Amino acid sequence: MFMHRFGFFFLVAVLITTAQGQSPRGQSNPLVRDPAAAATGRPLFVEKCSPCHGPNGEGGHGPGLIGWREVRRASDRQLFDSIRNGVPGTDMSGFPMPDDDTWRLVAFVRSLNAPAAAQPVPGDIQAGSDIFWGSGGCSNCHSIRGQGGALGPDLTDIATLRRADQLKEAILKPNEGVPDGFRLVEVTRADGTKVKGVAKFENNYTLRVLDRDGRLHFFEKKKLANVSSTESSLMPSNYAERLSDDDMSNLLAFLSRQSLRKWEQE
Amino acid sequence: MKPLILMLLLLLPAAGQVTYEDILKGPTDEWLTYNGDYQAQRHSPLTHITPDNVSSLVPKWNYYFRGARRLETTPIVHDGTMYVTNTNEVHALDARTGRQLWGYFAENVKRSRANRGVAILGDRIYLVTSDCHLVALHRVTGALIWDAEFADTNEGYHSSIAPMALKNQIMVGVGGGGSGQRGFVAALDAGTGEERWRTWTVPEEGEPGYETWGGFPSKWGGAPTWTTGSFDPDLNLLYWPTGNPWPDFYGGRRKGDNLYSESVLALDADTGEMNWYFQFTPHDVWDWDANETPVLVDMDFKGKKRKVMLQANRNGFFYVLDRVTGEYLLGEPFVEKLNWADGLDEKGRPNVLPDTTPTPAGVRVCPAVRGASNWMSPTYVAETGLIYVITLEQCDIYYSSAKKPVPDSGFRGTGGAQIPAEPGELYLRAIDPETAEIRWEYPLPGPAIAWPGTVSTAGGLIFAGDDDGNLIALDVKTGEDLWHFNMGHRIFASPMTWAIDGEQYVTIANETDVVTFGLFKPE
Repeated sequence: MFMHRFGFFFLVAVLITTAQGQSPRGQSNPLVRDPAAAATGRPLFVEKCSPCHGPNGEGGHGPGLIGWREVRRASDRQLFDSIRNGVPGTDMSGFPMPDDDTWRLVAFVRSLNAPAAAQPVPGDIQAGSDIFWGSGGCSNCHSIRGQGGALGPDLTDIATLRRADQLKEAILKPNEGVPDGFRLVEVTRADGTKVKGVAKFENNYTLRVLDRDGRLHFFEKKKLANVSSTESSLMPSNYAERLSDDDMSNLLAFLSRQSLRKWEQE
Repeated sequence: MKPLILMLLLLLPAAGQVTYEDILKGPTDEWLTYNGDYQAQRHSPLTHITPDNVSSLVPKWNYYFRGARRLETTPIVHDGTMYVTNTNEVHALDARTGRQLWGYFAENVKRSRANRGVAILGDRIYLVTSDCHLVALHRVTGALIWDAEFADTNEGYHSSIAPMALKNQIMVGVGGGGSGQRGFVAALDAGTGEERWRTWTVPEEGEPGYETWGGFPSKWGGAPTWTTGSFDPDLNLLYWPTGNPWPDFYGGRRKGDNLYSESVLALDADTGEMNWYFQFTPHDVWDWDANETPVLVDMDFKGKKRKVMLQANRNGFFYVLDRVTGEYLLGEPFVEKLNWADGLDEKGRPNVLPDTTPTPAGVRVCPAVRGASNWMSPTYVAETGLIYVITLEQCDIYYSSAKKPVPDSGFRGTGGAQIPAEPGELYLRAIDPETAEIRWEYPLPGPAIAWPGTVSTAGGLIFAGDDDGNLIALDVKTGEDLWHFNMGHRIFASPMTWAIDGEQYVTIANETDVVTFGLFKPE
């Protein structure tokens, strides 16, 4: 509960800064794009930030700093200000230190969130593409740029949204968190007819299901005979066996190039 | 589970696609384009909610936009789904419940601005990002299909526009009148995002109109196109308004009328070729962008059936133009606070009064910089023959500076300041387009900082936001106040109305939430 509140206030602080008219990427410092500066930011982070945010930014008493949209979208200046001045309404007080050290910390937090598109990921991209569209069966459920299936999350911009290690983890351990909107359900109406598909949302009262024909069905739950679902992912969990190490590298190389906008590799 | 998975491994087919012909019908149970119809009348044929039952209107659901601070979106409703936007975000909501079906967040975007909504065509949703990319998404899954950049934000461009789907192209425009760029209207291919045509709003050397700039570089001229235009399918003409010449507030370096700033352009929808233009405020030095919605109406005008274009302009005059020829038919003030011109000549050109040009010391001019109206949507009702306009009565002190302008630096030539002793007043005014006579007005008391729009219905109602966070319902004929609901936040968006399962709903965004209202139904 506390964590939620803390995160909320961090968000508010970020937004208040935005409301003052800064562009999201405005007011930066060359150190932020310098990998060496990010590396020198780590010991500072361990000293000043890790007691709350965890040694690797994974979270603890304070919120995790990895993969969080608000951190990813915050401008360098907003991150700088949050470190320098603290976040009002939370336990986070300001950390006065020389500007360059603060920018090194910003660089480190940025490096925690560097997406796959911004990193060199070794592998044969074409071979990875062949796995995605062919032998791996990925495109049966996932789409890229309008091609592919609809039952799994779209991957057109996935290299912007995830780090390479997160992509690998998602391929190898699909059951560790089925994303909202992609859980398989089978709905039985009062007359016994059934609809199968993925639940785009479900609450106590209503349910919307995307069926295989691309139709979105609306159901009031009290009018249904049954709703059965599974918590496990639709995604096969045997890619560790199905893909060789080279296959995995190639698939990751392919996925790490899937971004809408061009990234300069860091 | 496996057979079930295999059964589902199929691609999405073309069910429920939106066609150009669907959009041509105007509002039905659905709302398929920013203004509901290409003519921008924002008049719905729905009749379930009436003056007799509107007192039973209650909130049905509320959707909180995490992180929003000023929503300006007009929702699109199709096939039981509502599409709403914040800057660089689209959320697809279940229209019955307000639950999110999918969300799209554009990543690595270089700017942050308001956004006014999406376009829909085929099975695609089109979003314009604040840094001028058009993004195509699948309407059912939210899957990204492509992203096409149509202007370089490093050159001062940005965008907040709700794009317009027209035939098989997507119309876009740009902001940047405050930063020194060259405005344009562009048609992008709906299938690929490739540019089909582009019409610049500032002529280059050698082109007609260049002589109206006194040699000022066209690449900095401004005349942005940041609001959605309107379209006449019979004439195949687009009516696209343009904004201020740059630098705003100081005209000493751009001597002349500065075509085609502060104008409406009639463009061939297939080629972008300009059929005619009309300039409302030549050589503008007050930042009175003409980006107010051009409303297309067929009406009897002084004994003659005419196809006209109506616009309540930011400069305080209400205009009627023949939209076939561009002929000026009428221009009269629709605000009392107007002191910069004592009328328009027979061609519609303002007779500008002395001592109204901004100075370094400041000069009091009315209307205010925000304008007598602005981009907030008006509505036209054929049954009453009236156009309903949100109107601001306010003056400002206008300042100018002859400093050398620097493009894309936030440079302004300077601006307007509110006069503390003269707070602004907002009104909803019903204007007779034949005479510009105000038939009735409804005051919207408050600090005059809201930015609400309107929608009208065949049920006999006008819905609008007020200046106190209320959605209000007025009798379309009399302006009588029939219902209101305080949403707890200010309103910077326009309402729209739609129906599903035989029930009519009204939806409007406030600063942070999208709220939907319907008639109370006992369980």
